[in-house]
Amino acid sequence: MQTTLMHVILTSLFFLHTCVICGSASKWLAIFNMQALGISTIKSPDNCEELPGLVNKQIQICKRNLEVMDSVSLGANLAIMECQTQFQNRRWNCSTVDGSVFGQVLDNGTREAAFVNAISAAGVAHAVTRGCSSGELEKCGCDRTVGGNSADGFVWAGCSDNVAYGVQFSQTFVDAMERKTRATLERRLMNLHNNEAGRRTIEDNMRMECKCHGVSGSCEMKTCWKSMPTFGDIGQVLKEKFDGATEVQSLKIGSRQQLVPRNADFKPHTSSDLVYLVPSPDFCEEDLKGSLGTHGRRCNKTSKAIDGCELMCCGRGFNTHIEEVIERCSCKFHWCCYVKCRNCHRTVEVHTCK
Amino acid sequence: MAGVVIENLSTKKLMGIVVLLLLIQIACFLVGGLIAPSPTSAHTHLATKCIDPAISLQKAFVPHGPNACSKVSTFAEATEKNIEADWIVFSIMMPHRPNRMDRSFQYMLGVLSLDIVYKEDNEMGDEPELTILVEMMYNNDDNAQGEWKKMYSINETRKLNCEFFHQKSPEAEGYSYDCEPIPLFELGTVHHKYYLLNIRLPVWEVDPDTQEVVRELNTNLGAVQELSVVEIHQNGGFTLVWLTLKTALFPLVILAMIWFWKRIVQLARPPVLLERTILALAITISILNLPLEWLTFFHDMPYMLLLSDIRQGACYAMLFSFWIIFVGEHMMDQQERNRLRVYWRQVGSMTLGCMCLFVFDVVERGVQLTNPFYSLWNTETGRRLAMIFVVLAGICAFLYTIFLIFMVYGVFKNISMKRAALPHMVAARRLHYEGLIYRFRFFMIFTLICAVMTAIFFIFSQINEGNWKWGEDKHNIQYSSAFFTGVYGMWNVYVLAVLMLYAPSHKNKPTLQNGDTSEGSQVEFEMSTNVSSTAPSTSAALNPSGAASQAGTSEVYQLLGKVAND
Repeated sequence: MQTTLMHVILTSLFFLHTCVICGSASKWLAIFNMQALGISTIKSPDNCEELPGLVNKQIQICKRNLEVMDSVSLGANLAIMECQTQFQNRRWNCSTVDGSVFGQVLDNGTREAAFVNAISAAGVAHAVTRGCSSGELEKCGCDRTVGGNSADGFVWAGCSDNVAYGVQFSQTFVDAMERKTRATLERRLMNLHNNEAGRRTIEDNMRMECKCHGVSGSCEMKTCWKSMPTFGDIGQVLKEKFDGATEVQSLKIGSRQQLVPRNADFKPHTSSDLVYLVPSPDFCEEDLKGSLGTHGRRCNKTSKAIDGCELMCCGRGFNTHIEEVIERCSCKFHWCCYVKCRNCHRTVEVHTCK
Repeated sequence: MAGVVIENLSTKKLMGIVVLLLLIQIACFLVGGLIAPSPTSAHTHLATKCIDPAISLQKAFVPHGPNACSKVSTFAEATEKNIEADWIVFSIMMPHRPNRMDRSFQYMLGVLSLDIVYKEDNEMGDEPELTILVEMMYNNDDNAQGEWKKMYSINETRKLNCEFFHQKSPEAEGYSYDCEPIPLFELGTVHHKYYLLNIRLPVWEVDPDTQEVVRELNTNLGAVQELSVVEIHQNGGFTLVWLTLKTALFPLVILAMIWFWKRIVQLARPPVLLERTILALAITISILNLPLEWLTFFHDMPYMLLLSDIRQGACYAMLFSFWIIFVGEHMMDQQERNRLRVYWRQVGSMTLGCMCLFVFDVVERGVQLTNPFYSLWNTETGRRLAMIFVVLAGICAFLYTIFLIFMVYGVFKNISMKRAALPHMVAARRLHYEGLIYRFRFFMIFTLICAVMTAIFFIFSQINEGNWKWGEDKHNIQYSSAFFTGVYGMWNVYVLAVLMLYAPSHKNKPTLQNGDTSEGSQVEFEMSTNVSSTAPSTSAALNPSGAASQAGTSEVYQLLGKVAND
């Protein structure tokens, strides 16, 4: 992980100008690590030019929405972390490789590409919404240019929901990539669909909470609001959607190209389902298409699932060695932080794929 | 002079009045639905985690701007930096930049919610209790530059209700508990421009005298990730529309009331119970209409919320009493009437119920005047006490409903009996009963329509409010606001109609066969004051109190007496 991050830093500079023409839609995710480029916060329009992985249109959006860009970077980071958490036990473990962040794995329209698109669009929407709620961003729900009923202003009618702004911003910023790539129309449709599916996942999982405050606390007067789930919950839902993703192809229906399931017997996908164009490789061996292979990956000897040594190592077998680890144990916690812990020495059997 | 207005009104005039009232009603609905925004709005404020190693309660910790506190973005970061739990100050500034609060918001509620995730080594304990130290401050300088002035500094304990929907396993680490939002505060006034909340979750309870640690606090909360406060206030636009509506309705009802009472005074007899009740109803609704809230734009009046509750409660109580008395006074065969004492059971149960709610409200809102973070529901004893009040009020409401239904049933039974006898009656008598029946049925239908409409609107607005609507901001009709202004207007229209239609009529009754108008008035008078059957004379009419208590002879005898007189 540490080495791959270093890799990103070195290569992102190189890829800055070249990746505009390549196929993957997640190049902009490279801004998750803008601190590594020496940009701690985005203060001036010049910073936008220095950001890695953005297409021209995104740079324009950046210049117009300087205060939001820190949140975008945070969102990209959030998305990558969550992807790695959700996929830690799979052959493809969402590791970052080079300037295009996930390498060439995503160049083809696979399930993995679908997931990355969805979770990064969701990440931006989530982070921007959070930025709004914390008061860090000033436009948000009270911004008249972004939908909502706030045309009459905060005093008259209050502001519309922050999540509407977050989703809208994610749409403008993330989808801007698709309008500029040289990828096929089919791939662009897939990316746009999956971006939307990621954002939909946030919208659909908002919780409705209400408070009654009428006469004597009765429900004569009731106010409801939406509360956003944690990003971990979003990641989990998207992982389920990944497992149930639909393989599609584009067909011309009427005058427009549309994505329809490749297998006509399958139920058509909804706007919040993930779709992909080509089946994924098995990710067993390192290849030119970006697969890193599973050599040296840790596996679980007892599991029969994908994290088990059998499947993870693609039948190549595994090595076992004994490792001594020092970890914190019997910690005493004060709600947020631990106060004191002991260091425990423990020997563990580690299995790694051959 | 006989009967009430509605009996003697020509259909044309009646239609005129109905159309006029209907127009007022529709206007109220449209004002709410088209002009007003939604009644309230909620804004989520995610707390900024400020660091206060000195643990000083004197300083104000501001989340952003030039005087922003030093902060951490996550607790992982805090742990790394060896920051301890009691150094952390959750800071929330309301409203979000660049807005400012407005006095038209009238009140402000805060609801606290915690994001707690599952961690194997820091799990949430059983029945977690949250102890918070809250400081509330305000600022009236532009852009909140100047010094923050302290309003409240309060130590509160709340129960936390959380559930975890995953299997508790190492894989579930990082998934969040589903926690109920906790009511935090209720401010009856929004007088300042900016509000600041500094919330701490202390870990030690220190004895103030000895400075020794008494016990540990917030021990089984689990791994808290975020704290947020949802702030709810009445929208300024709604307040303006609402107050304008009140201001417009107030003189209307007052005028109708004066006109009504003038008519009563012109009568040769003192006012009867029903007329006094109608007057009382008009007075209470006028008190409710009185747009006192305009004053909050100039003065800080935190008791306005309590005052509004009381005014509204009084109005409900009066309306319920009015129904009982109206129905009771139309019980044709009941011997004793025209006295409040007769209705002691019905009115008593209703008054008791209202008193329960009144006491509850005064305690809740009264204490909130000094401590807005207080609620009866927060402590176990308080919760029980509140439950007793509410249950008692519920029982009273149930009893009242039974009484009312029983009485209405009695009147209808009576009406159908009288109906059968109508053709055999003398014209004067028949007209009297027909008048009574017409009056009663009109009232019943009218009341029923209003009550049903209120129920329908209420249910509709509840469903509307609680339902998931994506992109709800886009449509332009505000159902909730229309409900509030519409229902408010409706009960005003109801009172207006009662004042106008049930006032004594100037007109003579339609000429009777024998042309004896005095008898018409005589009969009318009987209805309202229960004149003894044996003395249906003008002298009795002038001296009703003497006649009223006479023990009962039935209407049949009265009828016979009349026939004999004829």
